[in-house]
Amino acid sequence: MRRERLLGLVPGLAFLALLIAGLEWAVQAGLIRRALMPPPSAIWEVLRDLLTSGEVIGPLVATLRLVFIGFGIGSVVGIALGTAMGWWGAAYRLLEPLVEMMRPIPKAALVPPLMLFLGIGDTMKITSVSLAVTFPILVNTLQGVRGVDRVLLDSARTHGWGTARALWYVVLPAALPFILAGMRTSLGLALIIAVLSEMLTGQGGLGFLILDMQRSFLIRQMYAWLVILALVGLALNALFAWAEARALHWQQRH
Amino acid sequence: MAILELEAVEKSFPARGGPPTLAMDKLSISVREGEFLSILGPSGCGKSTLLQIAAGLMEPSGGTVRVAGRPVNGPPPEAVYVFQQYGRSLLPWRSVRDNVAFAVEHRPGMSRAKSRAVADAQLEAVGLTGFGDHYPWQLSGGMQQRVALARALAAEPKILLMDEPFSAVDALTRLDLHRLMLELWEKRGLTVVLVTHDVEEAVALSDRVALLTKRPSTIARVVETGLPRPRDAVEVRETPRFLELRHELLEVLLTRGGHAA
Repeated sequence: MRRERLLGLVPGLAFLALLIAGLEWAVQAGLIRRALMPPPSAIWEVLRDLLTSGEVIGPLVATLRLVFIGFGIGSVVGIALGTAMGWWGAAYRLLEPLVEMMRPIPKAALVPPLMLFLGIGDTMKITSVSLAVTFPILVNTLQGVRGVDRVLLDSARTHGWGTARALWYVVLPAALPFILAGMRTSLGLALIIAVLSEMLTGQGGLGFLILDMQRSFLIRQMYAWLVILALVGLALNALFAWAEARALHWQQRH
Repeated sequence: MAILELEAVEKSFPARGGPPTLAMDKLSISVREGEFLSILGPSGCGKSTLLQIAAGLMEPSGGTVRVAGRPVNGPPPEAVYVFQQYGRSLLPWRSVRDNVAFAVEHRPGMSRAKSRAVADAQLEAVGLTGFGDHYPWQLSGGMQQRVALARALAAEPKILLMDEPFSAVDALTRLDLHRLMLELWEKRGLTVVLVTHDVEEAVALSDRVALLTKRPSTIARVVETGLPRPRDAVEVRETPRFLELRHELLEVLLTRGGHAA
C-alpha cells in the first residue's frame, strides 16, 4: 500500500526534474536571460548556503509565527461564530448580512486600511491573517452545524444532555469534517496574507525578503527565498493533512 | 398505576398555503407501570409522532402528557427513546463502549472509569462483550441496534420508548432481538412502549396492543393479549391465542384500513 503510493509519485517527480533540467539547459544555452532567470544550479548554491548557514531560520520563524497565530485566532473566531450562526436562528439573522458583505472582499485589500489603524507591526499582520482565515472556516462550520443529523441531536436530548454539552460533544464533532475542510482552505490563505502583509509593510519575514532581493537585483537570492516559500507551503499542507487524518480517524474507510 | 399518560393529545403540522394538517386527534392512552405495550398501526399513521411526543422530543399542539404524574415539557429523566435509525443515532466518532457511556458520563459523580464500567456491564447484558473497542460502522445492523439498546439501558430508565427498533434488520436477527428484549424487560422491570407495524412482533412481545387509526390518528382499540409470562418470543407464535390475535388484528388493519373500529 505504502509502496504503491510512493511509486505513484514517480511520474510527477520525474516530470518536475525534467522541467528543471530543461530550464537549466535553456539558461546555459542563452535562450533565457541570466539576469532574469539564473540557472537552477546557481539558485541551488544560494539555497544551500541559506540552509546550511542557518540564515533561513530568522525570516522563516517570523513568517510562520504570523501564519500560526493568525490561523489560530481566525479558526477560533470562525468556528465560534459559525457554530452560533448554525445553531441559533437569531445569531444567523443578526450576522448573516455582515458576513455576506465581508466575505467576498479579497482580504489582501484590507491590509492597507488596517495599516492606518494598527500601523505596520505584528498586530496589523496578525489581524490581516486572522480576518482572511475566519470566513472560509465560518461558512463551513455554519453548514456543518446545520447539517448535523436530527436523530443524533434527539439522542443527546433523550439522554438528558444540555445544550452546551450537546454542542461540544455532539454538534462540533459531527461538523468536524466540514470545519476541517474550511481550515484547509484557510491555511493557504493565511500564508498568502502573511507574505503579502510583509511585502506591504517592508518588515521582516519571507515576503519582505523576496521583494527586497528583487529590488536589490539579487535575483538568485530572490529565487532561493521563493523556493523556501514553496517548501513552507508544501510542509504546511502535509502537516495539515496529517492532523486531519488523525482527527477524522473514525470516518469509515472502505 | 399509570406511569405514562397521554390525555387528548393533538398534533397538527403547518401545511404550505393552507390550514395546518391534523396528524393526531385527541389521542388518549395510559401506560401501566411495568407493562409491555405495543402501538400498532399502518405506515404513515403517526406512530413515531406519538412516541416523540411521549418522549418530550416533540411538543403536542394540544392535550397533556404526564410521566410519573408530572406534566412533560422536554425529555423526562424516566424515559429514553430508542430510534429506528440506529445507524444515525450512534456517534460515529466514538467507540462502542464510549457510545454507551454517553448515556451516563454527564451525570454528577460519574468518573470516566466508572462510566466505562457501566458501559461494559450493559454491553454484556446485550451480548456484545468484547466489542467495546469497535466502532459502530464495524458492526452489523443488528449489533448496532444492540449498542443503541445498551446505551438506553445504561441510563437506567423506567420507560423505554422504542420506535420500530427491529424493522431494519433481517428476520432472524429480529427474532433474536425479540428474545433479548423480553429477557431484558423481565429482568429489569421496565415499562416498554413499542411502536411497530408488524402485527406478529406486537402480539409476541406485548401485554397490550393499541391499534392506531390512519391520520388523523387516534387509538382505535386496545387489546389485552393475555399471553403467558414469562414467554419465549419464538414459541409463543405457535400458541392458539397468538394465532387468534394475529388474525383479529390483521383483519382490522386490512379490511378497515385501520379506521376507528
